Amino acid sequence: MATNTIHGNNESAQPNNIASSKQPLPPAKTVDSQSVLRRLQSELMALMMSGDSGISAFPEEDNIFFWKGTITGSKDTVFEGTEYKLSLSFPNDYPFKPPKVKFETNCFHPNVDVHGNICLDILQDKWSSAYDVRTILISIQSLLGEPNISSPLNPQAAQLWDNQEEYRKMVEKLYKSAN
Amino acid sequence: MEERNSCFFNPAILDSLAEDSLQEIIASYNGFCNSTQSLLSGNGDLSVGPDFVSHVHTLCKHSLHSLVQDHFLLVLEETFERIGASRFWRHFDPYSHVANLNKNDDLDIDEDEIQSVLYNALEEVTLEKQYQEKCLFVLVHGLQSYKDQMSEDKHGFEGEKSYLTSKYQWIVSSVLMATVPRHFPVILHWYFKRKLEELSTIMDEEFCDDASQDKDGMDLDEGGKICSKGGEMDVDECYNDHRFSENSRLVKNVGKVVLDLRNLGFTSMAEDAYASAIFLLLKAKVNDVAGDDFRSSVLQSIKSWIQAVPLQFLHALLVYLGDVVSYESTSSGLKSPLAPQPSSCCPGINTPSEGLVRWKLRLEYFAYETLQDLRIAKLFEIIVDYPESSPAIEDLKLCLEYTGQHSKLVESFISALRYRLLTAGASTNDILHQYVSTIKALRTIDPAGVFLEAVGEPIRDYLRGRRDTIKCIVTMLTDGTGGNSSSSGNPGDSLLEELNRDEEIQENAGVDDDFNSDDRQAWINAMRWQPDPVEADPLKGSRNQRKVDILGMIVGIIGSKDQLVHEYRTMLAEKLLNKSDYDIDSEIRTLELLKIHFGESSLQKCEIMLNDLIGSKRTNSNIKATINQPPQTSVKVEDSAISMDVISATIISSNFWPPIQDEPLSLPEPVDQLLSDYAKRFSEIKTPRKLQWKKSLGTIKLELQFQDREMQFTVAPVHASIIMKFQDQPSWTANDLANAIGIPADALNRRINFWISKGIITESQGEDSSDHVYTIVENMADTSNNGASTATQELLGGDEEEERSVASVENQLRKEMTVYEKFILGMLTNFGSMALDRIHNTLKMFCIADPPYDKSLQQLQSFLSGLVSEEKLELRDGMYFLKK
Repeated sequence: MATNTIHGNNESAQPNNIASSKQPLPPAKTVDSQSVLRRLQSELMALMMSGDSGISAFPEEDNIFFWKGTITGSKDTVFEGTEYKLSLSFPNDYPFKPPKVKFETNCFHPNVDVHGNICLDILQDKWSSAYDVRTILISIQSLLGEPNISSPLNPQAAQLWDNQEEYRKMVEKLYKSAN
Repeated sequence: MEERNSCFFNPAILDSLAEDSLQEIIASYNGFCNSTQSLLSGNGDLSVGPDFVSHVHTLCKHSLHSLVQDHFLLVLEETFERIGASRFWRHFDPYSHVANLNKNDDLDIDEDEIQSVLYNALEEVTLEKQYQEKCLFVLVHGLQSYKDQMSEDKHGFEGEKSYLTSKYQWIVSSVLMATVPRHFPVILHWYFKRKLEELSTIMDEEFCDDASQDKDGMDLDEGGKICSKGGEMDVDECYNDHRFSENSRLVKNVGKVVLDLRNLGFTSMAEDAYASAIFLLLKAKVNDVAGDDFRSSVLQSIKSWIQAVPLQFLHALLVYLGDVVSYESTSSGLKSPLAPQPSSCCPGINTPSEGLVRWKLRLEYFAYETLQDLRIAKLFEIIVDYPESSPAIEDLKLCLEYTGQHSKLVESFISALRYRLLTAGASTNDILHQYVSTIKALRTIDPAGVFLEAVGEPIRDYLRGRRDTIKCIVTMLTDGTGGNSSSSGNPGDSLLEELNRDEEIQENAGVDDDFNSDDRQAWINAMRWQPDPVEADPLKGSRNQRKVDILGMIVGIIGSKDQLVHEYRTMLAEKLLNKSDYDIDSEIRTLELLKIHFGESSLQKCEIMLNDLIGSKRTNSNIKATINQPPQTSVKVEDSAISMDVISATIISSNFWPPIQDEPLSLPEPVDQLLSDYAKRFSEIKTPRKLQWKKSLGTIKLELQFQDREMQFTVAPVHASIIMKFQDQPSWTANDLANAIGIPADALNRRINFWISKGIITESQGEDSSDHVYTIVENMADTSNNGASTATQELLGGDEEEERSVASVENQLRKEMTVYEKFILGMLTNFGSMALDRIHNTLKMFCIADPPYDKSLQQLQSFLSGLVSEEKLELRDGMYFLKK
């Protein structure tokens, strides 16, 4: 999808001084990617220092636009004791556009499809630049316990949701087979 | 039987033999056998000779001379085995137990006895051999006379004779060798050793012919017959004569023994014996001379000793043997020891023979090796007192050049280091001192620094693991005396010296600005080039990069110069803040030297700090000047008001200083007033700028006046504040006092101990049990503990050790590291497991916020292992995991 183009842009954006001298990019864009970098840096710092339990994310080794995230299921939900890997890829005009967030670990959830795509309003039309990585992760963590049954991506999960006991068994079974 | 023998040998002749000639052969053969027997067993009786000869003739007539020879030799061998050899060995039977002893053990046998036994045995066996040789000559003679009769051909005779002689010689030695008992070599060894020791004591006396002649005369009394006759009147001549004859007598005795042994076929055994004796003696000598004194060079004296003692001996021996052997091969072994020996005792060896040169090389190599081993074993001690022990280092260098056993040095020294230095008990200062000495000492031995590299590695590794390494290094760099309690070694001087030395080198290089100096330098360098030793590790770069540079190697311990500079800045800040005058000459000097080495830019902050001090001095005097000109009325409102003269401020640009620890403190009113006055003046002079006081820092000199005494102290502000409160009120409860001063109660309890220990304040239980009451001691006579007041002048109290004005580097580091810890935990949560490198790179990449990640890989590693030991992380196969 869009991930690829974002990737391509990143590489030219990061060493922006060199890039700007080489290509006649619009100056506004260069300033932007510089500020995107700074924004992601500070988000990382904030996330690291926040110490929220059960959520975490960190950039890939050489690319700050592509992060790996980790969410653990909250207590007293059917997802308790499970851990899910996420991937977050930030667009070049972040934070004006939301990052693409996907589950990397298979997640049996009404709002998550088999490919890991998430149906969450703040990641789509309700996105605001006031959100950051931390809030995204917290939202996803709470989505796990409080799914939106009305518009399911995974109808089977939506149906089963009412039977929490069975649902728990299903989650455990899938989680075990995934690990 | 003999028939068959002859048949076997002469089958063709057998047919032609007539009956009567057969009879004749048998008869004369029997006669021959009998006469041979009686000839050989007869003790020196050659009377059967003619009879024997006639039998020989008869047999030869029948062409049986080979039979004659074989039989004779057979009987000869039997006889020698029976008489000569067995008797010879029987002499040594009483000493058979020595074979089990160690060669170096002292034998509890009478020296003269074994000597005479050896002499007797040799004499007897030689006599026996001599007699048998005579018998052999009878045979030879018989054969010869027969040949003379039969033909005119005389040429075969000499050949026959030498054939038989060598055959006999061979028989003798093989018989003896076949029967040699185990203890015989030991006895020989012992004998030569004893003789050499005797010789060496004589030679030694000659060798060190100082004024000890009287004593020599006494020592020589064992053989001093000639000397006693000579008396002490004509000491010199008699002395030398006597010495000479003594020497030559000894050498001749030994020579004769060697010669006898040679004749018996013990050439190699004898050589082994005296060679090992010489080596043993040499080893003892080296041990004796070298000993544990490293302050003098011993190599030369050992070499001249080799020249004087063992080589003299060998020379004499070789000459003795050489001469004798050359014209004596056929005659009897018993050559008179009194026979003229040309120049056997010549003190100077004029034309050393090839054998002697070989011996010399062998001995010197052995001496070098022995000394080298000795020194290497003691290298640790040698380096401990390095500058004094440099002669020993020089010796070692020469030895190693000769033997090339550098690797031995490296191995042994490293294990000594591990065992003795790199232990928890050694203070970091001592380790660093030893490291510097090691560098200096090994630089002498190995200018290329190859072995230093190997030896230094464990020290560096170890020091990296110590917390106070950087601090010690900086202390050493800046001043040696101000270091920790153990300033005995005063290692700092050496490093400051190093800084100076570097400066000089650079200056010298600068002076030589001849336009073609580059070419010349290149030429000189080219001329000086030497290949790296083979042990050099090619991975560690060429010799140019490996130039031995003490500062570089010291900084190499830390990893980066930035850290060193950082630590230096902290220490400098501490030092500057504690200065009450503005005298910073030595600091400026040190900084200049450091700048030369580490570059201006890295020390910029330090320079600003020093400039702050200089600026403070100026500002301070300016402010005081403005006060003195218009006499201020406001200051002398109270009589307790303090003149501004007594205050001097250190004004710092805090951005460039390390974080300063500040704690709240309310100063006494007049002082506070004074400070704000000062600050006002300051902002008047330096308009946009304002002073912010760090009230807890600084020192205060104060004088306390009591009813019966006066006392002076130099204390921290908090102490002064405490004691000033007692001016208004003689006793305070702890809580009230703490509130008045504006510090927590527990801090107050800690601080006030200073005054309690001085006997100025007493502590007592208040009405409230949790509250103490402090009371000032106005009159010394009232209290019993006046012993405590004897120390009137003392710098900051002993319990103040931990109180520092500048946050220590460790604390700063710890604070920074907690940020990194969060990052590390974060990345491990998301990536599962990571290797050290990757963590390092990731931190470098993303942790560029406020304290940017600037740590070395080693620092990170030690930090990670800290986390592992806190059970936050796990390390498996080089990968770090979160501990779950």
